[in-house]
Amino acid sequence: MDNAEKFRSIIGTILGIPEDQVTDDLAPETVDTWDSLNHINLISALEQGFGVRLATENLADSQSIPELKALLAKDGIVV
Amino acid sequence: MDPSATSPVPIGLPEAKELLAEVHAEPTLVNITRVARQLAPHRQRLAGVSLRLACLASFTFDPIQPALELQGLRSGLALETYLGPFGQVEQELIDPSSGLATFKPGAVLLGVRLQDVCPAIYDAFNTLAPGRSEQLIDDWMHRLRSALLAFRQRSGAHVLVQNYDVPAFPALGIADRAASTSQASTIARANDALYALAASMENVHVMDYDGLVARHGRASWQDPRTAFFARIPVAPSHYWHIAGFYVHHLRPFYGLAKKVLVLDADNTLWGGVVGDAGVEGIALGQDYPGNAYVAFQQRILDLYHRGITLCLASKNEPATVEEVFRQRPEMVLQSEHFATMRINWDPKPDNLRRIAADLNLGLDSFVFMDDSAVECALVRTALPEVLTVALPPDPADYPRVIESLNCFDQWTISDEDRQRGKFYKAEAVRSGLKASAVDMPMFYRGLGMRMTVYVDHVPHLARAAQMTNRTNQFNMHTIRCSEDDVSRFMEAEDHRVITLALEDRFGDNGVVGLAVVRSGRDAWVLHMFLMSCRVLGRTVEQAFVGWIADQAAAAGAQRLAAEFAPTPKNKPFAVFYEDRGFVHAPAKGETQRWVWDLAGAETSPPDWLEIKVH
Repeated sequence: MDNAEKFRSIIGTILGIPEDQVTDDLAPETVDTWDSLNHINLISALEQGFGVRLATENLADSQSIPELKALLAKDGIVV
Repeated sequence: MDPSATSPVPIGLPEAKELLAEVHAEPTLVNITRVARQLAPHRQRLAGVSLRLACLASFTFDPIQPALELQGLRSGLALETYLGPFGQVEQELIDPSSGLATFKPGAVLLGVRLQDVCPAIYDAFNTLAPGRSEQLIDDWMHRLRSALLAFRQRSGAHVLVQNYDVPAFPALGIADRAASTSQASTIARANDALYALAASMENVHVMDYDGLVARHGRASWQDPRTAFFARIPVAPSHYWHIAGFYVHHLRPFYGLAKKVLVLDADNTLWGGVVGDAGVEGIALGQDYPGNAYVAFQQRILDLYHRGITLCLASKNEPATVEEVFRQRPEMVLQSEHFATMRINWDPKPDNLRRIAADLNLGLDSFVFMDDSAVECALVRTALPEVLTVALPPDPADYPRVIESLNCFDQWTISDEDRQRGKFYKAEAVRSGLKASAVDMPMFYRGLGMRMTVYVDHVPHLARAAQMTNRTNQFNMHTIRCSEDDVSRFMEAEDHRVITLALEDRFGDNGVVGLAVVRSGRDAWVLHMFLMSCRVLGRTVEQAFVGWIADQAAAAGAQRLAAEFAPTPKNKPFAVFYEDRGFVHAPAKGETQRWVWDLAGAETSPPDWLEIKVH
């Protein structure tokens, strides 16, 4: 599984949606399972999956797919 | 949206076990979430016991819920969980119209952190005036007690409270423990108060959360970001551990604790293969790796003294293994510690089946431990109900396997537990007698059995409650009771709690039978009736019910009424009533009803059984 697939798999599993629906326009406004608690789970699951501690300034931020990708990119992980 | 929910193929038990083992090996959030979603629709079918579990917490409990459901399944519990609203523990307990009250739980987890109810003790300890922390703790204990008492008036559910964890870095640093105003000691005293509170109430139990946090490392138990941001005091990497911790405290209430440990010998109890290396050549002693095997045996001996039945299943020549017991003084375990040893070249599943038959115990109460992956795979496939534990490659890791294997845990350890090993050893001698007897009456007479019955005997409270929780096979109703429940039966005017102890010429069998009887004018009713499987097949159950019938007749009753609620496990009970002369009465749903007409009933004990009343 490459990084991009792993990313989609993690997001899809936590939010309970098929992986092919994990696109850049996915957002808390469009998926009801993306609530504040599941957002924490998303961050934690990405950290576990990629073995990093994401450099968040505020856990509540980065509530979009491009922003999550940008967080991973800070650790040199391109998805 | 969930593809597994509409999956046409239901998930079978072996497949579910495999998924659970995958999560256990790598309990990441993704794995937990994925498998919890996959198994959720099948929970009821995959577990033997269903439980309505309410979780009330002073912190955000939600992220732990999927892990809790999976850990429940691993232990045979189908959990239906209710999460109380965040931080409203007392309101939920007190309010008769709360979500908790409506939910009608079988058990309640109280995840209340002292950090949340007495924050000053953690956040501002050094600024507290002398005596202030004690006041805060007293006040909280008082509130908790009131809330629990209010709940107890409406519900008999098991209540499990977690104790309070000491901070990783106490307020006075290295001076803390020795200081008269020690934060760590203050919290330790709060824990003492919590244990005392639980002991003073019915069916309230304390879980050692502080110990859990310490085992996993206080400093890394929390992820500060999720703790501050979402009030989740447990790091995601520990969700699986805290969930397992909660379930492990629930399991003994539902007869799900394991009772028997079957061990391999070569490369398990000692290093090397004794058949090849010889008795002197196996690793066992003061130095590595021999010392790891000695330590492993010591942990197993601990289990023996807690009432776990030990058995040996080894592919060897019996004489060789006996030589190890006799000639290696480093052996901590002696042959007398094993209820039965099957040393032969038969497949291990066959030996396990025979051990289960010899001990009269269900294989689902067995744990099998072996260093060989092949043997483990064989047992796993042939006997999925057995918990098979493959030992790790390095014997240095063996002792930890026993220490972390919490499936044997019980809430109380009775005198019977401490002596169980001896009971089974005597049983093996009895079996020898059986083989030499010409017929059954001759065997029974040779046993020299003496029964003693006790009515409402308070010193038997703990054992009586324990038997209701442990006995699955010869049990008419499989009603589980706390000591308080039994105590209430003892106090009730129209109920009798009758316990039965059995001695024979091979030793004392301890308290092995329990009946709870309700006495009416025309009829007495057997409310509960059970016998330890250790003494089944010796006509004791027949003499016991006969004695009860005699008491009923002497009090003027004409009938003894009883019920039988079949479960997958209590088949040995099914033929009992008919054999005694009870006749079928109209059934009540799944529950069979039976009546024994006492006029002309054959109630006298067999001539080989002597009955004494305490």
